[in-house]
Amino acid sequence: MSSVVEKEAAPARALRAARLLSMIQTANTGGLLFVILLLIATISAIAPSFLSPFNLFALTRNLASDAIIGFGMMVVLALGQMNLALGAIGVCAVMVTGYTLEQLGLPIPVAVLAALATGGLLGMLNGLLIVGTGINAFVITLATASLFTGLMLIVTKATTFHNLPPEFSALGYSRVGPISGFLVVTLFVCGALFLLFNFSVLGRQILATGANIVAAGLSGVPVNRVIIVAHALSGVLAGVAGVLVTAHLAAALPSIGEDWLLPSFLAPLLGGTLLAGGYVSVSGALLGAILVSVLQNGLVLFNVNGFRIQFFLGLALLAAVGLDRWRTVLVQRAEKRLT
Amino acid sequence: MTNLSKRLISQDWFPLLLVTLVGALLLAIISNSFLSAYNLFVMLRILSVTSLVALSQMLVIAIGQMNLAVGAIGGLIAILFGGMLEVYGLPIGLAAAVGLLLGLAAGVLSGALVAYTRISGFIITLALLFVFTGLNLGITLSIPFYKMPQALKDLYDSYLGPIPSILFIPVLAAGAVSGLLYYTRPGRHMLAMGGNPAAAELAGISLSRTTIFTHTLSGGLAALAGMVAVARLGTAEPTIGADWLLPSFAAPVIGGAVLEGGYVSVTGTMIAVVIIVLITNGLLLARTDPFYVQFFLGALILATVLFNRWRSSVNVASPETTSGRP
Repeated sequence: MSSVVEKEAAPARALRAARLLSMIQTANTGGLLFVILLLIATISAIAPSFLSPFNLFALTRNLASDAIIGFGMMVVLALGQMNLALGAIGVCAVMVTGYTLEQLGLPIPVAVLAALATGGLLGMLNGLLIVGTGINAFVITLATASLFTGLMLIVTKATTFHNLPPEFSALGYSRVGPISGFLVVTLFVCGALFLLFNFSVLGRQILATGANIVAAGLSGVPVNRVIIVAHALSGVLAGVAGVLVTAHLAAALPSIGEDWLLPSFLAPLLGGTLLAGGYVSVSGALLGAILVSVLQNGLVLFNVNGFRIQFFLGLALLAAVGLDRWRTVLVQRAEKRLT
Repeated sequence: MTNLSKRLISQDWFPLLLVTLVGALLLAIISNSFLSAYNLFVMLRILSVTSLVALSQMLVIAIGQMNLAVGAIGGLIAILFGGMLEVYGLPIGLAAAVGLLLGLAAGVLSGALVAYTRISGFIITLALLFVFTGLNLGITLSIPFYKMPQALKDLYDSYLGPIPSILFIPVLAAGAVSGLLYYTRPGRHMLAMGGNPAAAELAGISLSRTTIFTHTLSGGLAALAGMVAVARLGTAEPTIGADWLLPSFAAPVIGGAVLEGGYVSVTGTMIAVVIIVLITNGLLLARTDPFYVQFFLGALILATVLFNRWRSSVNVASPETTSGRP
């Protein structure tokens, strides 16, 4: 009798476990969206000015550059590597933008192209050094971060460019409805990266290299070229973020990029991208950046001292990775129950 | 004699020592103020903090992890130490003891989080970097504690016979760390874990306990560095520790540490700290822009890792020369 019950119970339990498994696996994006909506509801209930056009504009303008900074880290995290020079590359692109606009007086599209090219070249240099020497990407990009920043300071003598053409600074005030026009750039980048990682050979090759570099190499993936391209792409994205920040501040400051380290890791890691490489979530990274921007904005609206915001962002990162770890443990348990 | 010189040359850090000596010689020739007692003292002051920072990071590198929060722990303890002295008027010894305990506690926290959540130490310490910096700025609102007791400055600038007391800080710390790593059981556990965690666990080493132990020591050294920095500056600045990330990795890596863990060199790290101090000081004496320091530090890290890579490839090509490693 009891054995019959067990026989009936076992498939039911397996079914439940399977359902739990798929639920948990889709929970990340959905969960993040839920947390964001909950946060928005809470903040706007307490501080109605959250939904004011002015605040939404400021929020989305910050979000636009933070998300792209996160994407810049995400493309190298996909390889299982890091780019600590993201901020340094960003500020080099910023200064190139300022120089071409103010000193050379070239048109805006040329300046933007120059900034993106600078970012791409510096990122490619990182990739070449990593591939050519076989040294850990962490050490290489830590060294090049101080190399690039030092070189930028030597060349510019730490001066700022703040006589930028008014048409360029006006970009910082561009609007689409109540939100910042910058967000269009971000959504475009987001869409391009989504296509790259889901439907292109290169994206697949980056992920395969991140998952298992030896296996990828044996299956004919040009591993070295893929690493160089991913780092160049990371540099280009740092350049895009640099241009947006320059337009936002209406000045090219040599201090831009110093505080990019936290947002660069926060957005992709909150979004479920693995530090070990081989898996990215582009939409997750965008949601991660939204969560951070909303949280940051809410804290400011609640009059939390600006100095303490770092504390809460640090806690948010801890909570996010803790939840993610818990999710993985649940998935593993569910899988064990299935077998 | 020949035996001794042969052993010296076979050391990993021998090329570094040569670079240091040549660099110092060049500086002495170029600038007459380099060997002045005042300048040597200035260099010693920088050395006293940077060596502790480097050792704090080196310990965590030994087990194959990273501690991005070294500067944040140092900064937080620095302002707490300053606050205890200025606001509560505690005696220096007591304040230093409490500061050290708090630093150890911060290390226990990050070690326990890494050990029990099994989340990468990089992320945990990155998050704690911002938690501790946020606490630091939340407490001080970015305003330093200015009124440090005269006794602290006197203690820092005191002499033990003909030797400045601050020379003992790096010497004692390096001695203690190498004693721990090479002559004690926990130290060997750390290196074994860094070399191959799976094998170390099979050999009966508790990875969680070793992780917590290492981060605790790292936190303690970071706290010491923060308090020495307060004594050196004469004020407890909230910005202490903000620029420690680069030197904390530069010194162990230049000194020959393997970032994947399992091999670090205390002597190499200390020589690398001296090189960093020489570069900083040399560029200062040459009256160049301070920006050059950052550039040269980055170039130096790249040059040494490239050199080490080249040398190990030469060593692999001729295996009989690899026996020199201690």
